[in-house]
Amino acid sequence: MDGFVSDDLAIILTAALLATACGLLGPFLVLKRQVLLSDAVAHAVLPGIVLVFLLFGSRAPLPVIVGAGVFAVICVLGVELIRNTGLVHADAAIGLVFPVLFALGVIGVSEFAEGVHLDLDSTIYGEIAFTPFRTWDVLGIEMARSLPLLGVVTLVNLLLVVVFWKELKVTTFDPSFARVNGISPILVSRLILIAVAVTAVTAFESVGAILVVTMIIVPAATSYLLTSRLLPMLLASVAVGWIAAVGGYASAVALDASIGGAMGLVAALCFLVALLFAPRYGVVTRAAVRMRRRSALRDGRLETNP
Amino acid sequence: MDRLIDLLPFSYTDSVVFTGAVILGVAAGVLGAFAVLRQRSLVGDALSHATLPGVCVAFIATGAKDASTLAVGAAAAGFVGAALILAIERTGRIRPDAAIGVVLTSFFSLGIVLLTFLANFNNANQAGLDTYLFGQAAGLLESDLVAMGALCAASLLVVAAAFRPLKTALFDLSFAGSVGLPVRLLELTMTALLVIAIVIGVRTVGAILMVAMLVVPTVTARQLTSRLSLLLVIAGLVGAAVGSIGALISNSASLPTGPTIVLVGFSFALAAILFAPGRGVLWRSGQLIRDRRRAVNEGVLIDLETAMHSGAPPTPEELATVSGRPPAQVRRGLRDLDRAGALKTEGGRIHLTESGAGMVHALLHQRSLWSAWLEYGWTLDLPDAREPDPRDLESSLGDELTNALLQRARKGGWTAS
Repeated sequence: MDGFVSDDLAIILTAALLATACGLLGPFLVLKRQVLLSDAVAHAVLPGIVLVFLLFGSRAPLPVIVGAGVFAVICVLGVELIRNTGLVHADAAIGLVFPVLFALGVIGVSEFAEGVHLDLDSTIYGEIAFTPFRTWDVLGIEMARSLPLLGVVTLVNLLLVVVFWKELKVTTFDPSFARVNGISPILVSRLILIAVAVTAVTAFESVGAILVVTMIIVPAATSYLLTSRLLPMLLASVAVGWIAAVGGYASAVALDASIGGAMGLVAALCFLVALLFAPRYGVVTRAAVRMRRRSALRDGRLETNP
Repeated sequence: MDRLIDLLPFSYTDSVVFTGAVILGVAAGVLGAFAVLRQRSLVGDALSHATLPGVCVAFIATGAKDASTLAVGAAAAGFVGAALILAIERTGRIRPDAAIGVVLTSFFSLGIVLLTFLANFNNANQAGLDTYLFGQAAGLLESDLVAMGALCAASLLVVAAAFRPLKTALFDLSFAGSVGLPVRLLELTMTALLVIAIVIGVRTVGAILMVAMLVVPTVTARQLTSRLSLLLVIAGLVGAAVGSIGALISNSASLPTGPTIVLVGFSFALAAILFAPGRGVLWRSGQLIRDRRRAVNEGVLIDLETAMHSGAPPTPEELATVSGRPPAQVRRGLRDLDRAGALKTEGGRIHLTESGAGMVHALLHQRSLWSAWLEYGWTLDLPDAREPDPRDLESSLGDELTNALLQRARKGGWTAS
């Protein structure tokens, strides 16, 4: 492709934009213990894509995003509805709702859209290697269309976080205080989940559902190990996402493996390193501190070690 | 197994799929209960994704493509995944949902990377991936059925043999530990049961939908019973029913098997959540409506009695004015009471029939007994610690205590009757 950016750069930029978009949302989900809802939502948007395809015969981004958003809301409301009966626990409610929506999507694809420009595995595990080949003309410059798409989504997510920073912070850390002050924690959390769905569905065709979910969960969990302040957590989460994007691409090229999978693995590696060596919460770090204290106690130097 | 398949009234392939779906349903139903009841359903989701790299490694290591070799790999990866989830949780900072999410995505990424390796080195068809993700019931062989059936039977035997300790650990882990049960071993067993259910099912319904097969039977059965032993039996039956009905529908409508089974399963769970006797949403709201209506009718009856004591038998409009109730409510109450034979109307004015008068007296007696219970109930020596049933105080207290209660109330001064 002779465009604005080279193929390699297009792939890395796509992944990095995705990492930014996801890294901004992930920490809120980790803090609210709603990590798995993002996985559920990312799967539950499939019937939305299929339905839009059946109704309009297109995969144009805007209707697809709207359709996916609708099904994300259906998924979240369905889970809440079932949980609020008091008969089913939250985890089981998630396990009931998203497979049904996903199953509807799979049936829709296999019945009505088979062989058409909508195949399942590329939706689920995607193929970021193909992103440079789907191009758009933006302001006279030809570029991979995932770039402007994900760019807009990243911008929207960034705006969301900046504009609602106070609301996000207060509903995350003290939902009852937020409610007293007229900020609905439920509404804010739904907003985040819709943003997750929109990010997921935009990223689907370029990187697939699994990489989206990975980029939301793993960098956020990693940054949660590194710090307990919100802003640094967001920054760290985005940074880990970037490391995963660049490192994943490099190792995928070196090993001739799936790019999305390699990015996921690099992210997992970052998590592992943080789990072991994070400054305050790392397993090894804490063991070292314990050992130092123990020897200090043995030598009677404890008072020098606050 | 041969004879069983011949017995079924379908073609050979359909019979194999049908039998496979039933075995999968029973296994997922009974074994899934041990994850769902501990509120760890989504561990099942993570582990069914986590089996993918195991299958790849098994294939790379042995080159074999038969189901049992791959199943061993899947089970091993499932175990490792489960152990990692527990280990990450134990480090303290990461909470269960994030631990589950991290393991799910990491293992699946690993699986995808390994799959591309397979495609590069062995030229193996990559079609393996979507059959794995979305399941492929048609790929089942008779030998797979034998293996699935044997695994299922063996794990059901384990459940039966270790039922009591499993039950104890399921409901109160720390109690189980304090009475000397091997808690770690029991947790390991429950995880193993979950992994086995996943290994049995994942090829048929696929990694993404497997969690529904684990959740549906237990959610359904839980609405119908509160006893674990019964719950396991019902969950097994529900699983079998879901599997077989789903297989039949997908067969006759030529829909993909896994998603069809999941949709059937969801309708089962939804039906149970809505209609389960004594517990379902619609059942409870129906009960609430009936209770409210009965309370209104009783109130109208007492208002009528009061009105008749203070003057001439009232018309419905007068009764509404006197009692302060909305006229529509009074009219409906009167209609219900009339239907119950409590009223007779003479010239637009309402009279109580003999049975109506009886009803009023019973009601007033009940109410005075209730106020006596509220005020003096604490002075009674109840034979056991149970609270009496407030809806039928008289018979649950017994004659002796009822009389004692009424006497105390009378001695205390005020009494209605």
